[in-house]
Amino acid sequence: MKVTYAKAIGDALKEEMRRDEKVLIFGEDVAEFGNIFGITRGMLEEFGAARVRNTPIAETAMVGAAIGAAETGLRPVLELMYSDFALVPFTEIFHCVAKWRYMHGPAYRLPLVIRNASGSSNGAGPEHSNCVESLFMHAPGLTIVTPSCPYDAKGLLKAAIRSDNPVLFCEPKLLYQTKQEIPDDVYNSDYVIPLGLADVKREGTDVTLIAVGLMVPRALAAAEELAKDGISVEVIDPRTLAPLDKDTIYNSIRKTHRAAIVEESNKTAGIGAELAALFQEELYDELDGPIARIAALDVPVAYNIAMEHYSIPDAAKICTVIRGML
Amino acid sequence: MHYEKDFLRQLHSELLKARMLEQKMVEIYAQGIVPGHIHSGMGQEASYVGVLATRKPGDYFKLGHRPLGIFHILGEPLDAFFGELLAKTTGNAGGRGGANHLGRFEDGVVGFSGTLGADAGVSVGAALTIAAEKRDNVSYFFYGDGTASRGPVHEAMCLASAWKLPVLFICDDNQFAISTPRQFSSAIENPGAGRAAGYGMPSKVVDGTDILAVYEAARELTKYIREGNGPAVIECKDYRWRGHFEGDQCPYRDAEVTEKYMAEKDGLKLFEAKLLADGVLTEAGIAELTESFEREMSAAVENAVAAPEMKPEEIFDNLYV
Repeated sequence: MKVTYAKAIGDALKEEMRRDEKVLIFGEDVAEFGNIFGITRGMLEEFGAARVRNTPIAETAMVGAAIGAAETGLRPVLELMYSDFALVPFTEIFHCVAKWRYMHGPAYRLPLVIRNASGSSNGAGPEHSNCVESLFMHAPGLTIVTPSCPYDAKGLLKAAIRSDNPVLFCEPKLLYQTKQEIPDDVYNSDYVIPLGLADVKREGTDVTLIAVGLMVPRALAAAEELAKDGISVEVIDPRTLAPLDKDTIYNSIRKTHRAAIVEESNKTAGIGAELAALFQEELYDELDGPIARIAALDVPVAYNIAMEHYSIPDAAKICTVIRGML
Repeated sequence: MHYEKDFLRQLHSELLKARMLEQKMVEIYAQGIVPGHIHSGMGQEASYVGVLATRKPGDYFKLGHRPLGIFHILGEPLDAFFGELLAKTTGNAGGRGGANHLGRFEDGVVGFSGTLGADAGVSVGAALTIAAEKRDNVSYFFYGDGTASRGPVHEAMCLASAWKLPVLFICDDNQFAISTPRQFSSAIENPGAGRAAGYGMPSKVVDGTDILAVYEAARELTKYIREGNGPAVIECKDYRWRGHFEGDQCPYRDAEVTEKYMAEKDGLKLFEAKLLADGVLTEAGIAELTESFEREMSAAVENAVAAPEMKPEEIFDNLYV
């Protein structure tokens, strides 16, 4: 069957709510409206008002409530709508969600998921187009997941809901309507993708290209294009950015000896900055050339759609950078 | 109102222990064996013990950074209490959390954020569990007149009332946010109770040094909450006897006013005087209780001093468990 990313997220939520009555969702406009992207449509009718709850616009209290509900026995999935709004409760996520178990002791379990719709979406403007992964990668204790396709989105969200550690779950908005062919029996098999496991999306031998979220399909398109010129690119999707699956990534770099990172967010202090630093610290002797960071220009995402597209990496930009590495 | 003698003795025992723990913490801080900071809650104990006299099994508690002795009153053994304070492996978080993060989950303690007020929503979430499980429990959220200014507290009140959840917001007005007097931060006299109406909550203001008055007000509000009517606010008026932290000389306030509060509004002494007059307690009984708890505390402090500290190979424990 052809499945959209948005449907995969919605199905993961429904399946987990059917499986475990402790799972509940809350957030702005998730009930009657079915969230602004339609992902939770029909859930109020199926699960009732006690488990599908609208909230006032009160992000700090919502994140706090997820903590309190999680540690006392529920498994809340909180929706913060745009990822940009995750900065309102930055303190609650950075200090409380991430550190709560560490600073209070192991009896404090935190089975909670914070979902947010991430990144650019054709004209959403400077405060509705951001990716926040790199900001929260600075918070030990937080698990950060960004799926890049419908299959992964479903399996990773189910794993996140079943985890006793808190998960920040980022959903690139431009992926919501992307489709993937998945066999019915596989899609309906209650599969779960373990957190902390990267995936080799395309095998190659010349360059390891680590791509995150929306950049994964663009990296795959670039790899296809480069293959025409005999350039073999291995595309790796970390899927979980924290904790990071170093083994899968390092094994690839030990094979290709070249590494590039592509992300949707700004270059400065981004995911690429962190990974490039890691590679030169831990894999210096394996590298045959400089590590390339492919990222958005260090500028707010402009409302002008042409400028939005100009500032964020696409397949052509990726191809140019990879060619320059060889 | 008529009280059983056993109830009054229990209340007194908790109040006395809370005070003695505050004194002990000041004492061991002065000895230089506490690695972090102590924020003494001396003079404020009756507000907490009085409210918590309404608790029952299954309730949840978010306490403050003062008075810390309340964590023991809720059940944390003294070895774990002083162990955490001294950053030892015997502490409730093995020394990872410290003075601000005492308490145990099994006692209903939901945790504490060092960024005051960031945990207000946590009490709302605990109340959500109570509602989901259809229990008649209460989620107690203690905060101060300083924290009353913070957005997360207002958001928590907004969410708790929108969802009609069983939260009791307890504003302990000790009159100072570090050095800033409540009169500066709040244009109204009661920064807790005075804002309750904005969220459709009933509220009461009470003298926090009169433990029975606190109890009676809290009893009425917790009854309202346990009956499923939604959140409420109680504001306890007391006075922070000591500085914000040990070593704070309080140049920002009049020492004579402080001395007057200590002499005339000591919640423990006032309660003891009443119970002695009513024949509920005897001087000898109080002395016996004081001595025996002093021995317990001293033994626990000795144990904590002797207890091992976390080793480098244990520093990642509790992270991604």
